[in-house]
Amino acid sequence: MSHDHDHHHEPVEGSWRDGEDDRPLSVARRRFLAGLGIAVAGTAAPAGTAAAHEPDAPRRPVNPWGSRDRWYGGDHHIHTKYSPDGQYEVAQQVAKAREHGLDWVVITDHGGVAHQKFSVDLVAPDIEKARAEHRGTLVYQGLEWNIPGAEHATVFLPPGRSAVDILRAFEAAYDGGVLSAPVDRSGKGLIARATSADGEPYALAALRYLEAQVLSGRTEIALMFANHPARRGVDSPHEIRGWRDAAPGVAVGMEGAPGHQAAGLKSGRAGARGFYEASPNQDSFPGYAPTAAENPYRTYGGFDWMTAKVGGLWDSLLAEGRPWWVTATSDSHQNHLDTHTPGTGDHNSTGTRGAPVDTGKPQVYGDYWPGVYSSTLVGAGSRSYVDVMRGLRAGKVLAVHGRLVDGVDVRVRSDLDGRGVTTGGRTFVTRGRDVEVTIEVRLARRPNFGGEIPRLAKVDLIGGPVTGPVADRDTLSAPHTEVLKTFEVARTARGAIRFTHTFRNVENAFYLRLRGSDGNRLTSDGGPVMDVVGDADPWTDLWFYANPIFIDVV
Amino acid sequence: MSRWLHAVPETDPGHRAAHTDALLLAALAPLAVESAFTHVDRTTVVSRLALTALVTGEAPTTVLGGRVVEAAGPPPDGRCIRFPGQDSLTGVHTAEAIVTGSAIDEVVGVGTAVSPDDLVDTQGFLRPTLTNGRLVLLVEPAAGGVLRPIESRDPHECCGGH
Repeated sequence: MSHDHDHHHEPVEGSWRDGEDDRPLSVARRRFLAGLGIAVAGTAAPAGTAAAHEPDAPRRPVNPWGSRDRWYGGDHHIHTKYSPDGQYEVAQQVAKAREHGLDWVVITDHGGVAHQKFSVDLVAPDIEKARAEHRGTLVYQGLEWNIPGAEHATVFLPPGRSAVDILRAFEAAYDGGVLSAPVDRSGKGLIARATSADGEPYALAALRYLEAQVLSGRTEIALMFANHPARRGVDSPHEIRGWRDAAPGVAVGMEGAPGHQAAGLKSGRAGARGFYEASPNQDSFPGYAPTAAENPYRTYGGFDWMTAKVGGLWDSLLAEGRPWWVTATSDSHQNHLDTHTPGTGDHNSTGTRGAPVDTGKPQVYGDYWPGVYSSTLVGAGSRSYVDVMRGLRAGKVLAVHGRLVDGVDVRVRSDLDGRGVTTGGRTFVTRGRDVEVTIEVRLARRPNFGGEIPRLAKVDLIGGPVTGPVADRDTLSAPHTEVLKTFEVARTARGAIRFTHTFRNVENAFYLRLRGSDGNRLTSDGGPVMDVVGDADPWTDLWFYANPIFIDVV
Repeated sequence: MSRWLHAVPETDPGHRAAHTDALLLAALAPLAVESAFTHVDRTTVVSRLALTALVTGEAPTTVLGGRVVEAAGPPPDGRCIRFPGQDSLTGVHTAEAIVTGSAIDEVVGVGTAVSPDDLVDTQGFLRPTLTNGRLVLLVEPAAGGVLRPIESRDPHECCGGH
């Protein structure tokens, strides 16, 4: 096949139908298509089709193509001096985010006794001031919630009369740090540890509480994204499924890529990329134990193992037909080569570390300023607080590192939906008819903050059958999901490039997603390489991940 | 005569790897400890770190508040925090030297094959795991073309390890 020109229009070749063709790609594609029931036209209807919708429900495409959405870059994970391990003023973080091109940011200081008591109220006026000084940049007040029984998560709301009250009450009742701190240290003493399993019911109650605030109209929308989900192995698959089921309008995704992307620089902290350097502890899910094949406690091409592994945990959720989106954030606490060190305040007793100290000397840290390396691009109808959150909830989301792409527009059409749907969407096709995928990638036009114009080398189209809810809620693989097609990008390509792909004779529900790479660090099957602790330059290993589109069969 | 003892400490030994191991081994200090393993006891909702050790000497009745009982042997998926030959493995050694000079049966790479001559920078901290009855040290590529154990002494803890 030719990869020489920018415009590709390639229906599936006939070769995959040829039983004698044993080229590996064809075999893989045949196996997948056979799984979908689309490889062999005219055979008996497959048993147990798994359309994710009820057969008689009215069918309406979700995330229809052609809205006036634009991509807005942002970051939902940013710390300030109101975190015990942070240091910056809100104003510094917002100004830097703006300088680096972000349209929206969420301030997420760590939950805990002191934060709940002091910081949540201290940060609110700082955020108001930043909003006033930087009109055009959306500054959300959020929280880095210690999910009881699990990892951290971003929780945030749009500005509103009750926003701070909701956050304060939420943290008091449901933060894992508050729940596990003993009563004599102003905690609740209700669970053994922030990450121990006795906290799991509190996490579900917490998310239901947030959803109730939305349903009652106290806030227009509220969202939760699980942060650094595989870092310590404490987000078990059943917990993730539980969160989504408890509050499907609130718990909508996870960091596909964690922050701290500078932490693996050999010339810097020389730690693990993302600070993913842990190993299992007593609260880790046993199914995540490292093996000779993989180590879930490391990043792969800068992305969390749950997202980076094709057919892994993320795909196991998507294969259920379960919407679950991935993002990329900075987790900025202390930014590499910045000259500030923390203030001298006692966070424990005041909720703030005080103003940071400018030493004048560049410091070796593990993070980047918001917008320098990681972006979460959100498709939204306008640059407004609620619209950007609606875009996030709808999964119109791209997770991008090092500005590898300026945008990726995916359109999926069928005989029943000529307009088609886009990222995060859901459409349907008549059994036995075709589904056409059009991918338009806007290549980077300007240098990124590593100083180079990044070059996209390839885009992988990944997909698998949607087989419905799993019986075992700790399922963490989707064995039929695979890379279906790789589109190579010509070295000379500039501007926007377009690829198309047609699925013929579709028999069963399936989903699709995309990832792209600069091609610098690939495994033999084209996947991301496990990042080396102490030697991971994030600028020479760039990826983007686009969220899925689901296709039902009627 | 040596025998296997088992206890589930009441004191939470925390998450910091080296600190946890040192705390547990210190609790056994009066005894001669040939081998010691930790594993996660999941018989209760709140899982706990359990200790199983091959010791010689008068057994205490409790370890860190946990009652000591006799055990038949090490836990099947135990993580080994004390083993014969451990003290000599503090620097950079070949995979072969690790296997011949200690109780470790095999050095296995994550996603990479390990040859006997490959160098492993132990960084003075080894926690091999018991896998199908064999003591296996999992290693990964590290900076400078050497291998390192996947377990580090003091992994970065966000927010003080909340």
